[in-house]
Amino acid sequence: MRGFSARRREALSVKRKTESLASVVKETVSEHRTLTAGLIALIAGAVTLGLLPPLVLERIVDRLTAGKQAEGRAALLYFGLLAASGLFEAGQNVAITVFGQKITHGLRSAMCGKLRRLPAAYFTGHESGSVTSRFVNDVDTVDTLFTEGIVGMFADGCRVIGLLTVIFVKSAGLGLLLLASLPLLFWMTRAFQQKMLRAQLQNREAVARAANHVPETIRNIRMIRSFYRQSYMEERYDGYIQEGYRATEKSNFCDSVYSPIVIFVSSCIVAAVMVFAAAGGGLFRMSVGAAVAVTAYVAKVFGPLESIGMEIQNIQSAAAGVRRIDEFLREEEREEPDPALTAEKLLADSPARVEFQQVEFGYGTDHPVLRDLTFTAQPGETVILTGRTGAGKSTAFRLLLGLYAPSGGRVTVCGADAAAIPDGEKRKLFGVVPQDFRLVPGTVGDQISLFDPAVGPEQIRRAAELAGLHESILALPRGYDTPAARELFSQGQLQLLAIARAVAADPPILLLDEITANLDSGTERRVLRALELASRDRTVLSISHRACVPAPGVRLIAVGSRQSDFC
Amino acid sequence: MSGRPAGGVEHPEQLRSYFKMEWAPLTLVTVSGLLYNAGLTAGPYFEGQMAQRLFDILKGARAPASMAPLAGMYLLTILVVQAMRSVKRFYVRRFANDTARAMRRMLYNSLVHKSRAQLRRESVGAVMTRAVSDVDACAEGMRKFTTEVFDTGVALAAYLTMLFVYDWRLALLSCMFTPAAYLIASHLKTTVTRYGAAYKKSAGELSDATLDRVAGALTYRVYGREPDRDRAYEARLSDYERKAAAANLWENTMQPIYNFISLAGVVPLIWLGAKNVLGTGWKTWDIAAFTTFLACFIKLAAKSSSAAKLFNAVQRAQVSWSRIRPFMQPYEEPDTATELDFAHPGTLRVSHLSFAYPGGPEILRDVSFAVRPGEIAGVTGPVASGKSTLGRVFLCESPYRGNVRIGERELSSLSEYERSRLVSYLGHQPELMSDTLAENIRLGKSGDIAPYLRAACLEREAAEMPDGADTFAGSGGIRLSGGQQARTALCRTLYNAGAVLVLDDPFSAVDRGTARELLQNLRELSKDRAVLLISHRLELFPLLDQVLWMENGSCTASTHGELLEKNPAYARLFRAQEGGAERETKN
Repeated sequence: MRGFSARRREALSVKRKTESLASVVKETVSEHRTLTAGLIALIAGAVTLGLLPPLVLERIVDRLTAGKQAEGRAALLYFGLLAASGLFEAGQNVAITVFGQKITHGLRSAMCGKLRRLPAAYFTGHESGSVTSRFVNDVDTVDTLFTEGIVGMFADGCRVIGLLTVIFVKSAGLGLLLLASLPLLFWMTRAFQQKMLRAQLQNREAVARAANHVPETIRNIRMIRSFYRQSYMEERYDGYIQEGYRATEKSNFCDSVYSPIVIFVSSCIVAAVMVFAAAGGGLFRMSVGAAVAVTAYVAKVFGPLESIGMEIQNIQSAAAGVRRIDEFLREEEREEPDPALTAEKLLADSPARVEFQQVEFGYGTDHPVLRDLTFTAQPGETVILTGRTGAGKSTAFRLLLGLYAPSGGRVTVCGADAAAIPDGEKRKLFGVVPQDFRLVPGTVGDQISLFDPAVGPEQIRRAAELAGLHESILALPRGYDTPAARELFSQGQLQLLAIARAVAADPPILLLDEITANLDSGTERRVLRALELASRDRTVLSISHRACVPAPGVRLIAVGSRQSDFC
Repeated sequence: MSGRPAGGVEHPEQLRSYFKMEWAPLTLVTVSGLLYNAGLTAGPYFEGQMAQRLFDILKGARAPASMAPLAGMYLLTILVVQAMRSVKRFYVRRFANDTARAMRRMLYNSLVHKSRAQLRRESVGAVMTRAVSDVDACAEGMRKFTTEVFDTGVALAAYLTMLFVYDWRLALLSCMFTPAAYLIASHLKTTVTRYGAAYKKSAGELSDATLDRVAGALTYRVYGREPDRDRAYEARLSDYERKAAAANLWENTMQPIYNFISLAGVVPLIWLGAKNVLGTGWKTWDIAAFTTFLACFIKLAAKSSSAAKLFNAVQRAQVSWSRIRPFMQPYEEPDTATELDFAHPGTLRVSHLSFAYPGGPEILRDVSFAVRPGEIAGVTGPVASGKSTLGRVFLCESPYRGNVRIGERELSSLSEYERSRLVSYLGHQPELMSDTLAENIRLGKSGDIAPYLRAACLEREAAEMPDGADTFAGSGGIRLSGGQQARTALCRTLYNAGAVLVLDDPFSAVDRGTARELLQNLRELSKDRAVLLISHRLELFPLLDQVLWMENGSCTASTHGELLEKNPAYARLFRAQEGGAERETKN
């Protein structure tokens, strides 16, 4: 018997469009044509205006050497050009910033969209802290890549080309000198780049690990304190930041010496021009005014070249982030559910039956967790899954939720493969009460509706009433609209919230995982009562790790295999 | 300046302390910075001299060969100046790197010494953002401040001196626009700060939203809510985009405007400077003087506009610092001083213990019992009878009344270190870390974990993992099953066990057979330990040395047999579970 996954794979052999950083950028650029055009116009204006002042200066100095007073017009023009090029540069910077923000926005949107298409295994295999760091830190480096990297480099590149052109016109000799030295500088820059890339990569990784260590400490603080492992935790954190420190130190060194070297080279060229001009060689023949202007130009060539050096650093440091973002966007995606399946259709065609037929499943390839699991939960029936620890009870649930597809056999809900049911339909089919309740950012009402527009205030209230939470919620400062916070609820009340969340959309099937394992408070009775109410008229599948007294009509199913369920 | 400092930063709540701590790199920065900035004027000076020399040569007043020595002098000076510059650049970066590291250490030290209750009041995402991005922004601000002190302060002084030497009246006249730039910059700084703060806040919110979206992905998926969450995330992104653009606009565009204002002085400079050259002005200049003066002035104007950059950098650092500062507390050193003999701790005696959470009702009332080393006492009772609270009393997270003595010492009088050596607590949450299975058990100690893996019934499963016990357990142990997580936590407690073991529901996620095995192993490992086993599963209680029956916060210390006879509630509970067990075996 072939599983859902094998059959779907064939159906989905058509390649899906893979996103990458480059495609996101392309889209952003074509979406914001005006902004892109404006940006280019501003850069062109700033470059052109920046070329003119030394020409005015040349004229002034040449007049002076000829013993003539400077014209007032020329002085004003000089100032006007300096000022205008400054303003254009400012405009250019604003446009670049806005542009960079558009790109990061588009990129984060694309990454967020990717989350939805990732298989469940991705989330269990990756720390949420480091995935968050992809979204936050790595995308920020992409912003730097554009604002202070690529676009800046483009502008500076234009500036260099403009300056070289003017210099060639003024002094062909100097132009040749510059052309000869630029490859040398470029080679040096590359050497710096490669050294820095390695350091930056190490630093980013260390930063992500350090970032993950903080929420982990918060989560485990009781354990840390009770074992007196504060110093141990500090040492671990220190290890991470120390790695980052050393990597930063390396790139700082390159950063510190690069620009001084470039400036020294530029001075060498100025000195050479002066010596040649003094010697009066053909290519270097020029007036004093031209010499002054040319000196100003040389300084100007190396200015943008120096910035290009910095921009290269920014690009380098972003390269690591870009690579990780592309890796993330290229992560293998899950198989798309079948959009034709709707809860209404399924329930109309078949009663709320859950069926496992000779199900086989393993997380890796070597250790099957489930082997030949077969059982049916009939509509309205309560079935309890029992079995040795690690026997695969929770795994059976994950298959039923469609988070994973079985490698053999079938898992069906109302006759349809569980993994083929679209996410949006699941809530109308089954509610889940997990081991731990996940508090979401929002109001108390949002905890129950989980932002579902289909679950209105009336349904929220009814779910809360069933869970026996209505009164406690009304006692809160703003009732259902009170912003939710962990400390508002006891452990038991969180369980009740989980029950309310599970039944809010009135599904015919209820999945209960280990419901009283963590419960040790005055609300256990209320939890049991709520569960009883929630189970009424529903097909219930429940995981129990301990001995229990099944009520009449409740069936126990032993889940077991010789293998562990390490995943 | 590498390696871990012996202690922390003194007065970590003052920014000054971080400058003080970094006196060595800062001294280097000062020396090289002064030399570099003083030497900055050398460039324009020599370039002016060379232009003049060229003029003379073209006129025939000097030999063409006279240019070379001048050019050589020029190069030598630039070389020294730029060497100074790279020293300054490197050490100012090292200063920032050191500072960021010290601040992170202090932040983390303060974090790890906070209690669970204190941490619960913090939003995880916000703390994370604070720790990572604020420290960077703050150290970066301090770096820029230090850089600008030289690049702006010293360089300005050097350029100004140069100008005044050449022609003080013209210097005054051309520089009179600069103060206006300063005035505007200082006026606008509150606006810059306001937009900067709004941007930071939005960044924090975005970070929180991202963490929620990722960490809650499967919850949202199972409920089909991913599209909604993506829309909400999109709204966050738009907010962030707007605030970031506004903040950057204010921060980046002011500078060219200051520059514009400062540069206005160039008009009188050229006009009057030309007169000087022609001999009709205040001073008599040559071409060299004219070009040097002009070049210095333009550099001066550019520098003075970066005074605004200085304000901005400082502002940004202040915004970040104001959010880091509340967490900056004196460094807490580990205190492992003790006179206790951990090898012979003695009997656990609890007498007349009463307990209430701060501001809450009394949960434990006059509880008394004793557990000798080698004994295992089961603690049970109906729901909300206070059994878990009794376990948590041993953590001393809140004060209790009455006595809890281990040997002769009162628990509350012990240091945190002593307590950690004497009492080992296992709670409901496994509290695992992103590390290997073995490291989660050892927690930095060295030693063989195999016997403890065996004791926690983990040995076989660990051996089957890809890298054995050195297999990565995932974030929070997520790659382990719930049962494996619980047994890893148990194993950790056994490995680090003190004289008193307090185990709250250690067998909740294991079946009956495993529970029996675990108890047997526990007994073997606890020959000289007093064990409190809190559970509402009673099937193993007949095997325990005594049973503490909790009801409404009071405790009856007895044995299984006696309770079965005399306590109807206990008997009922036990029999109900026994029945369940029989039925389970039948299935």
